[in-house]
Amino acid sequence: MKFPQAWIIAGALVTIAQAATQEAGLPAWKDGERVQLEKDGWVAGGALLSKDPAQVSTAENESKIPEPTAGEIAEPENPRVELPEKFWADYFGEKPKSFLVDPQGLLSTVDHRDRLAFLNYHASDSAIDLYVYVFKGNQEIPGEAREEELIERFFSKGRPAAVVYYYMSAPELSAIYLSPSLMGAIPGAEQHRALESSVMQAIEKPDPSKQIEAFLVQMSIRIYWMERLAGLGTAAAEPMMASASRSDAPVKKHKMMILLQPWIDKSKPLVLPAALLCASLLAGLVMTGWLRRRARYRFPEFEVEPRLGGPHAAGIGAVISFASAAVPPASQRDQVPDYLKRY
Amino acid sequence: MKCPRCVQRIHRAASLCPHCGFSITDADARFGGEELRLRCLTDSAGILRRGDRERVEEAMEKISKRFPQIFVAVYTGALGEVAHIRQFGFWLLNRSAFEDVPVEKPNEAGILLTIDPESKAAGMVFGYLLDPFLEESDTFECLSRAHASWLEQKYADGIIRALAELESILCKRCRQARRDPEHFQRKVQPPAMMGDTVRRIRAGHRNESVKQTASTREEVEK
Repeated sequence: MKFPQAWIIAGALVTIAQAATQEAGLPAWKDGERVQLEKDGWVAGGALLSKDPAQVSTAENESKIPEPTAGEIAEPENPRVELPEKFWADYFGEKPKSFLVDPQGLLSTVDHRDRLAFLNYHASDSAIDLYVYVFKGNQEIPGEAREEELIERFFSKGRPAAVVYYYMSAPELSAIYLSPSLMGAIPGAEQHRALESSVMQAIEKPDPSKQIEAFLVQMSIRIYWMERLAGLGTAAAEPMMASASRSDAPVKKHKMMILLQPWIDKSKPLVLPAALLCASLLAGLVMTGWLRRRARYRFPEFEVEPRLGGPHAAGIGAVISFASAAVPPASQRDQVPDYLKRY
Repeated sequence: MKCPRCVQRIHRAASLCPHCGFSITDADARFGGEELRLRCLTDSAGILRRGDRERVEEAMEKISKRFPQIFVAVYTGALGEVAHIRQFGFWLLNRSAFEDVPVEKPNEAGILLTIDPESKAAGMVFGYLLDPFLEESDTFECLSRAHASWLEQKYADGIIRALAELESILCKRCRQARRDPEHFQRKVQPPAMMGDTVRRIRAGHRNESVKQTASTREEVEK
């Protein structure tokens, strides 16, 4: 029973396969059809019906699209501009006092506060500080500011640090530099990987605010691995940490300080008047003290009748004996005649 | 106000102590009647070294500058009994002429500190100018400040501390005098004459008797 069924199935499969291998034939012009259509006028898709459509379309396109000029070929789509000179000092004049360097105010107040809080938190949790310089996406670092020199100058002392140049809306342009104490410990490939993964995280986000947030979070994670790689926080790394003076690092903000930051920001305009007031009060006190020291005192003069025949003085005044420490001044206060004393 | 000899209280303008009869004549008889010529800082006992002298003179000069009417003199010497130092101070301020004090500053404006290192006693007297403003207790405060230093025979230190206290007391009194001069003036006003008091009492009695006579007459007339 089994053999006849198997032969039937095999035969059916062979038939189907043969039918599939037979291709349908291409359509072909019948005599007179083409001539008739051309006589009637323009035909939609006429170019397709021509003998060599490819040649016709290429020729037509070439005649219509102008060729790009040499300048257009050389110029990038989004030209980069140099960082305005007025910000050079703010960016590169001194070691940053904050982990977030944004003198141009590219971040909103809220974003600035949140990112700075995050960087402060990172610094409190990590042996490697993360400094972020924020630039516009189309800005270019001036040639005078050589990154390696700046890092050497500002970050050779103090805690180990990673410095990131971040470009708003263009995280792919970001660059990372490590302080000299880390350069030998962390290979360049690791730095490149850290930057690459941070950029990947950033470009997945739609808006610049989310981009920098994602970038920093990822960079912080990668710095943790760099820290492990460099052996920071372990016994081996103690000398490196010891050589780094904490006093050079920016002040780490406590959680309470982060909460109070808005109040501090609000009270900043009052600092100058308050300082002036204190200074003027202090100056007033000093001046009063100085005038008092220089003051001259005059007593009113009254007529006093002479006593006991003394022309100038009547002998009023106290006497004290310092013969013995056992007789202190307190016991000599009441100066009365001997015969009036009580013994 | 006390007598320099018996330390009993005496009234203003007493020409003699009513208790012991002491006057300048007795002091002259004890210490000499002739006028003395002294410098403000006279160290007859020789207890001050060169450096000490300069420090003491500086402190004295400071008071003279701050109080242009006043000068301070310091005398050290052996006097014998403690009781004599009070009389000696009284006599010295009345009888001496201080060579290095400007003429416009009479002895009435002087404050004299006398130290006897032999009997280990010190006294402070002042002239009539300061009579309304200083009390015996004020001078005692000044001497008390110096007591600890003098016990250790650091005489210059003691003098400087006493003068510093004196300066502060004088400043305070001067400010008080500026605010309420009448208060100090009352302290040196001459006492009312006995005759005046009797006259006032009698006048009061007379007024009373006149009133009584008038009222009696009115009653009689009624």
